[in-house]
Amino acid sequence: MYPSGDGGRAIAACFEELSQELQQLFRQWAEHAAPWSDEFLSAYALRAFELQFRGNEPLRRYCQARGVRPGLLQGWRDVPPVPTAAFSSIDVIVGGATEASLVFRTSGTSRGPQRRGRHLVRDPGLYRASLRSTFRRHVLAPGIKPDIVTLQPPFATDRDSSLAWMLDDLREGFGGPGSFCAASSAGVDWAALQEGLEAACRAARPVLLLGTTLAFDSWLDRRAAHKGHLRLAVGSRVMDTGGVKGKPAAVRSRVVARLVERLGITAAQIVNEFGMTELLSQRYAAGGSGPGLLYGPPWLRTRALDPATLEELPEGDVGVLCHFDLANIGSACHVLTEDLGRVIGDGVEWLGRSPGAPPRGCSLATAELMAAQDHA
Amino acid sequence: MLEPWHLPGLEAVSAGDTSGGAWHSGTTAAGVSFRTPRLDAVSAGKVAESVGRAALRARAERSLEEVIDGVARAAARLVDPAGETGRRTQETLAQGLGWSIPTVAETLRGMAAAWTQQALTGLVSSELGDPACLERFRPDPARADRLRRAIGPPLQLVVHAGNVPGVAVTAVIRGLLVRSGILNKAPADEPALVSRFARCLAEVDELLGRCVGSTWWPADEVPPAWEEWVRRSGKVVVYGGQEAVEGIRRRVPGDKDVVAYGPRLGVGVVLPDAPGGAAAALARDVCAYDQQGCVSPRIVYVIAARADGFADELAEALGRETQRLGVAQPGSGEATAIREARAAWEFGGYRAGGGARTLGHDTDLSWTVLLGDRLGCEAEALLRVIYVYPAPGVAEVIRELEPLSGRIQALGYWGEKFLDELGEGAALLGACRVAPFGSLAWPPADWRHEGRYQLLPLINWTDLELPK
Repeated sequence: MYPSGDGGRAIAACFEELSQELQQLFRQWAEHAAPWSDEFLSAYALRAFELQFRGNEPLRRYCQARGVRPGLLQGWRDVPPVPTAAFSSIDVIVGGATEASLVFRTSGTSRGPQRRGRHLVRDPGLYRASLRSTFRRHVLAPGIKPDIVTLQPPFATDRDSSLAWMLDDLREGFGGPGSFCAASSAGVDWAALQEGLEAACRAARPVLLLGTTLAFDSWLDRRAAHKGHLRLAVGSRVMDTGGVKGKPAAVRSRVVARLVERLGITAAQIVNEFGMTELLSQRYAAGGSGPGLLYGPPWLRTRALDPATLEELPEGDVGVLCHFDLANIGSACHVLTEDLGRVIGDGVEWLGRSPGAPPRGCSLATAELMAAQDHA
Repeated sequence: MLEPWHLPGLEAVSAGDTSGGAWHSGTTAAGVSFRTPRLDAVSAGKVAESVGRAALRARAERSLEEVIDGVARAAARLVDPAGETGRRTQETLAQGLGWSIPTVAETLRGMAAAWTQQALTGLVSSELGDPACLERFRPDPARADRLRRAIGPPLQLVVHAGNVPGVAVTAVIRGLLVRSGILNKAPADEPALVSRFARCLAEVDELLGRCVGSTWWPADEVPPAWEEWVRRSGKVVVYGGQEAVEGIRRRVPGDKDVVAYGPRLGVGVVLPDAPGGAAAALARDVCAYDQQGCVSPRIVYVIAARADGFADELAEALGRETQRLGVAQPGSGEATAIREARAAWEFGGYRAGGGARTLGHDTDLSWTVLLGDRLGCEAEALLRVIYVYPAPGVAEVIRELEPLSGRIQALGYWGEKFLDELGEGAALLGACRVAPFGSLAWPPADWRHEGRYQLLPLINWTDLELPK
């Protein structure tokens, strides 16, 4: 039980204590990769829930409206999942917005720019510990310190982007001396990218390219005119990330096939990353162009739920994805998304954003009717 | 496999009638597969000629009274749950739309009230004054030296929306009343009802059945049937969302008359002296045809009374109504959208620290009441989701709704105090219909759909000026 007296200070102390414990656990897992039992996860999940319940009034009211409070829950599954819409409506942070060290914004593509959500991050150290531990286990080749080349503008020029922060941190944390960021707010410097990769090839230094699937697609389109192919050194890898609208699987297959052809690597060396602004932990699919199951650290659990009843679906059934992420102790650990997918064993197949409500015949939302009115 | 088509002139569809014998394939709102013949230009032309010829013959061989009689008998057969045809119609619609049988039955029963002999005779009289002018020249009440005659084009093309199935039948009936032949492009969501009605018509009067042709093709295609049918039709009538209506307008030649019914919504007002029963009556309007109509209420204002108390009553009434009708579960897209709308509202309320509330269960999306703590007009078009706002008075409600001017189909009310003021405000907003809760979903046969007459836009008047 957390002390309930001097609210802010007590919460800060409890948060710090839990954060430090978790950072240590995350780093230990990076070394040994021991599985976490449900009971082990739940012990921390219940502490995190109590912290969030006490440290965020809107979340507390949300839980109270459902008859849920600390002391009544058995395990991590019992924590009420918070829909991603909450990140558009309130400051989802323990202790209030003034405690945020970082503020990441969602693209807001599905609900319009005025509905952009934001994730206020209280402790970048906890985020870093989760990110680096998982990246080490799922992406880095053992014993190799590659030159990390990122295709995303740096965080300094795009302070809303969790992806920019993440790629900068990985480059700084794991990159060899030849690492660089090939993009700026003006976009990717294709010539610099080409030059840097050619230099790494000449020196036989392994490279790890990090960027969005679409950035790689654009790069490959530009390279189509070039006759020569690069031959990346042994131990090189590519990590692509980011949703692709329309036909994600088809676009990614095309990108992977062309990366294999153009960079002299195998599909197994191309890792797909899945992340969300609302989550501080990530999942990765190792190699290949197929749908690939995404695996993450043991403090990130994902379930597919029945969209109408929120009941957990049997393995393999498609439902709406719900994540529990212990790295989110500063905001909300249990997040109900608008994504569809299925769970197979410890892996997750992401099937894209839910299509949204079908048009209801001649009925529209009032905002749309007003927009149509303005347009007429 | 459902085959929802009725194509007079092509009694047996053979490979020669279609482009390479191919079919259009579609799925209904609930995912039931169906197919329709992929007509080439010659076959589409044959259907149009056949329907047009039948309409001309019907003008000569059937009186308006006989047409109304035939239509009313066919409609009664279509919706009679005790008969084989009615039972199968209910099953087909329930499967295709994913609705419960009671919801379908109630929708058809409500719609059918406007398809009776009495209702249709009333409609013609209401709009034309003298129904006989649809059959021959009749004295013009405005001038003694002039006769007048009204008649629809030999052919009309109607492009239907699938949200409320009975509306398609109403559209066909309107065409028959003005003595046109009607070619129909059925909606994918519910493609079967028009062709089933046409078959019922043929059963009661073979000639009238031949006045209606119906099929379906994908919305993103412009098949030969579209080209042929538009070319031969005197009017194109279209029902649908903004995008659908605009798309059809773009595809119809500029000299062709388009009668469009686009997106609108329903709103409700609980007046200050409202007696009990408002919530129960409103719940019936919300749940009728799963709140998919342009008359379906999406917002209700509670004037000078406790909006939160009304919201609680409405929630209870919606619970009872959904239990009575047995609603289907929303699909994953709709469910996710409802959940997100609920969460945005709930957390928005916590942020503002006011009295905004979300009423509904996390594990049941059958209905949702979103209670605001101040006047507003935000509303999403989601399944059985209704927004409740407090309002100080009628004038404030009308002012709040001004941005929706011309977009309000029905304005429901409960109570009598300030009804005059509400009616006047509704007229200024361009609302089409002001009616008590409980009847919003079921407009009478002669209502002014989108503020217009129903038959007059479909006919041409000919004046015969008598010699001096």
